[in-house]
Amino acid sequence: MSEAYFPVGPGLGPEENFLSLDDILMSQEKLPSRAEAALPRLAAVLGKGAGAGQGNCLPEGSKLEIPLWLAKGLYDHKRRILSVELPKTYKEGWRTVFSADANVVDLHKMGPYYYGFGFQLLNFDNPENPEIAQTILQTFINRFRRIMDSSQNTYNEDTSTLVARLDELERALFQAGQKGLNDFQCWEKGQASQITASSLVQNYGKRKFTDMDH
Amino acid sequence: MGLKPSCLKGVKTCVSSGSGGGSSEPPALNDKHLKVPAIIITPPTPTGMALSRDTRQPAVAHKSRIAKISGFCPTIVLILTNRHKVDAAKRALPKQPSHIVTLPQQPLTLWLLQGDLGPFNPGLPVEVPLWLAINLKQRQKCRLIPPDWMDVEKLEAIRDQERKEDTFTPMPSPYYMELTKLLLNYASDNIPRADEIRTLVKDTWDTRIAKLRLSADSFVRQQEAHAKLDNLTLMEINTTGTFLTQALNHMYKLRTNLQPSESAQSQDF
Repeated sequence: MSEAYFPVGPGLGPEENFLSLDDILMSQEKLPSRAEAALPRLAAVLGKGAGAGQGNCLPEGSKLEIPLWLAKGLYDHKRRILSVELPKTYKEGWRTVFSADANVVDLHKMGPYYYGFGFQLLNFDNPENPEIAQTILQTFINRFRRIMDSSQNTYNEDTSTLVARLDELERALFQAGQKGLNDFQCWEKGQASQITASSLVQNYGKRKFTDMDH
Repeated sequence: MGLKPSCLKGVKTCVSSGSGGGSSEPPALNDKHLKVPAIIITPPTPTGMALSRDTRQPAVAHKSRIAKISGFCPTIVLILTNRHKVDAAKRALPKQPSHIVTLPQQPLTLWLLQGDLGPFNPGLPVEVPLWLAINLKQRQKCRLIPPDWMDVEKLEAIRDQERKEDTFTPMPSPYYMELTKLLLNYASDNIPRADEIRTLVKDTWDTRIAKLRLSADSFVRQQEAHAKLDNLTLMEINTTGTFLTQALNHMYKLRTNLQPSESAQSQDF
């Protein structure tokens, strides 16, 4: 019950959780975008060093692939610097696939942070935002049943095939379900009343008494 | 269906379990006559009065009691803790005095902080809390008598009714799982047809868990805001509780993003 490390969960919403590792990894995903203004001396930084004109200037209208954290920082409502396009998994074509049958899609391949990234996309003004939000919600609802059943019924088995198609948020849910199941089985076997060494203490890796005599 | 949905504006889910079959309160034991037994028991505090027995409220209490019995026999310290934690593996013994034991040894009376127990006379049945019954049984000092509902015909009827209905049927005891496990582990020789009882209770448990999952799935699918499930026991709530609350948290955040949020604060530089 007492764990050595309580992870900070991802902040699901327009703002990320600053301390969450999931959010940090998620914001590294790349986003296709377009520069609206000329960006002097930034061509080398943004990865277009070879084809820039006039030294190091990035001309207006050039296409970029930048990570999410950079896009969020540079984005402005007056749209002076950057305009963001949707990645292909959030576009119309894939949205119809999700609405048809969400259970079949391999969400891990779509970017392991499908839900989190989708949330962050809502930050950028985009006429399709309501549909994106609705699609994400419906996908989650449709896949919920399968996650619940698979996490509550596999005990002591290899679950790698089951979690392969889930994205990170669903994997966290799967692990919560597994933990509940493991605790119940542990109670049923009577291990709950046995005293075991806490995981915190085991992680310290204390040397045993016999090791100190030499 | 196991749930009665109502579409309210609030998005908090509320799962409440109605109280299962009530456990009978034990008769107040006011008998203070010691029949000059061979062992003299002295109460732990100087008061000679018996403290009134607590009325049990299941599912929220956090109490601990220490009772000390001394006399000619060596000191026995009984520490009783009653914790109801969310973790299913840590379910503690329920404190309902609902088990009848008979002692084949010399008579005994226990004066504990929570109340008096006894007098125990050999060959006569007495109601005691579960923890004491298990302890005495492990020391082979008594024989347990199973509760009324732990009977093959009754359990079969309960199981069939559970399978027929869509909602949850009231269970004979709010702790039927724990009681079954403990009694069948320690006292199976005192319970007739123990294996069949174990199978029947497991069948009932599986049916109820399946109904719970079905309810959870339809709850999520229809995006209801409020659900009421009657006659659920704590054990069932705990097995699916963590997963369900996390999933519903995520769903809540997903739903609040459906409304276009007001413009985020941006720094001007």
